[in-house]
Amino acid sequence: MEKIFLKSDLGKSFEDYEFSGLKNSLKMEQTQVIDKIKDSVLKGRGGAGFPAGIKWETAYHVEDDIKFVVCNADEGEPGTFKDRFLMENLPYKVIEGIVICGYAIGSKYGYIYIRGEYTQAIKIIRKTIQKMYERNILGNNILGTDFSFDIKLVRGAGAYVCGDETSLINSIEGERGMSRIKPPLPVFEGLYGKPTVVNNVETLSAAAEIMKYDYNPYLQLGTEKSKGTKLVSISGDVYKPGVYEVEFGKMTVKEIVNELAGGVKGSGLGFVIPGGISTEVLTENEWDVPYTYEDLFKIGTNIGSGGMIVVSKDRNYLEIIKNVSDFFRDETCGTCFPCREGNKNINKMVSEIYERGYPMKKEIEIISDIKNAVSLAARCGFGEASVNLILSILENFYAKKVK
Amino acid sequence: MEKYYEKELLEELHDIQETYGFISEEDILRISEKRDIPKAHLYGVISFYSMFHLKPTGKYIIKVCDSVSCSLNHSADIVKVIKEHLGIGENETTRDKKFSLEVVECLGHCDEGPVMIINDTYYTHLTTNKVVQILDNLD
Repeated sequence: MEKIFLKSDLGKSFEDYEFSGLKNSLKMEQTQVIDKIKDSVLKGRGGAGFPAGIKWETAYHVEDDIKFVVCNADEGEPGTFKDRFLMENLPYKVIEGIVICGYAIGSKYGYIYIRGEYTQAIKIIRKTIQKMYERNILGNNILGTDFSFDIKLVRGAGAYVCGDETSLINSIEGERGMSRIKPPLPVFEGLYGKPTVVNNVETLSAAAEIMKYDYNPYLQLGTEKSKGTKLVSISGDVYKPGVYEVEFGKMTVKEIVNELAGGVKGSGLGFVIPGGISTEVLTENEWDVPYTYEDLFKIGTNIGSGGMIVVSKDRNYLEIIKNVSDFFRDETCGTCFPCREGNKNINKMVSEIYERGYPMKKEIEIISDIKNAVSLAARCGFGEASVNLILSILENFYAKKVK
Repeated sequence: MEKYYEKELLEELHDIQETYGFISEEDILRISEKRDIPKAHLYGVISFYSMFHLKPTGKYIIKVCDSVSCSLNHSADIVKVIKEHLGIGENETTRDKKFSLEVVECLGHCDEGPVMIINDTYYTHLTTNKVVQILDNLD
């Protein structure tokens, strides 16, 4: 069953929205807000899964007059549309999360970086920001307190890699969206060299929702290691695609697909891509796995962005590999040589495999080698994860059958 | 915080792109002087982002998604029918400068595919018939 937590204010108009998360936060000490988010073990919902509270705490402790909060709304992972859903349906909660983070870490300046293609979300967020200024939820002395905070919207311009936080920072600064070498981490030296927290849309919205309650709701939701809920966007070969909210540990991937998304179309399941095209596939033998960070990790894949794509066994899997490989070839920023050349070479091989109709054992080995090189040498998540899906399909469905 | 109150370069480029359909040599020269950034550097930035164009585009820029989910929903057929109907290929513009066609990555409407966006407007659940109708109805 769908668990309604983050979605609980769905349908509420801006006028009726109370901003209780922000109001509660402003009554608390900054460190108390941080502790609450830390205790909730809210993990980054963009794909990397880094605990948000630790990011906030680190930024809080860095001494600087100027700090930034950046909301990463550059959702581009194929199969993922939950951030768009949040921005279009709960825009005030997204912005509320940014303001709360700003208060907690001691920042006065926020950005929301929305991918340029999300024209509708851009319009809605722009209007929401304006209304929030009018209601004094943004601007000087917010709701009569000493805290002041401004937010600016910046549109991305069609580069997937800008979803990586350091690339996104470069992009706001007006540079090519190329990743930076870490360290320094953005919480120490981020936007314009200042301490910067970059959080995903869903992460910040969840933070706002958590702050709404007097107690910590996340402690009662999910499992020990995966607290809370996750928005899962499901598409592909299912009867009821859409954005569903799932409490961690309460449903298996199979149940999510069958009960929430209406089941698999066609003559049966081929595989499920659990969290966007940077994650390894789940086969029919594996999809009865509880939806948690730890359980998916145990079987070699990842929650990722929550962008679930269901593929029936009637499909040509090699066509999907080709599609994914074209994507990574085109979208690599080109900074790290192994990612740029690796994905190009894999694409050449995958194209040949697709033409031929089956892979050779040697090719799978070479792709596996290149994957290791790329994921070890790339300096951002793009490279690290770029070959996961391709190799997992080849290994699961072809490795044993071919010479 | 000085830089915070400046308009970001990306936003400035978007405004030009939206108004004129491309970013011209003169625009680049002007921005270069205003912001004290070398022209070559600006070209580097602009060419990195697929939404910015250095050459004039059609009045309508059609972007069809061909990422995994849309591809499972036969986005290739949509691209094919647009190409045939308009007589142009990918990244080309019709002679009357009305339409440009681009095949792009995920547009974030994976549950409603196949999907395209024309300028600011999304069109979902496309069929080959529907696409032709949509194009014919644009002035």
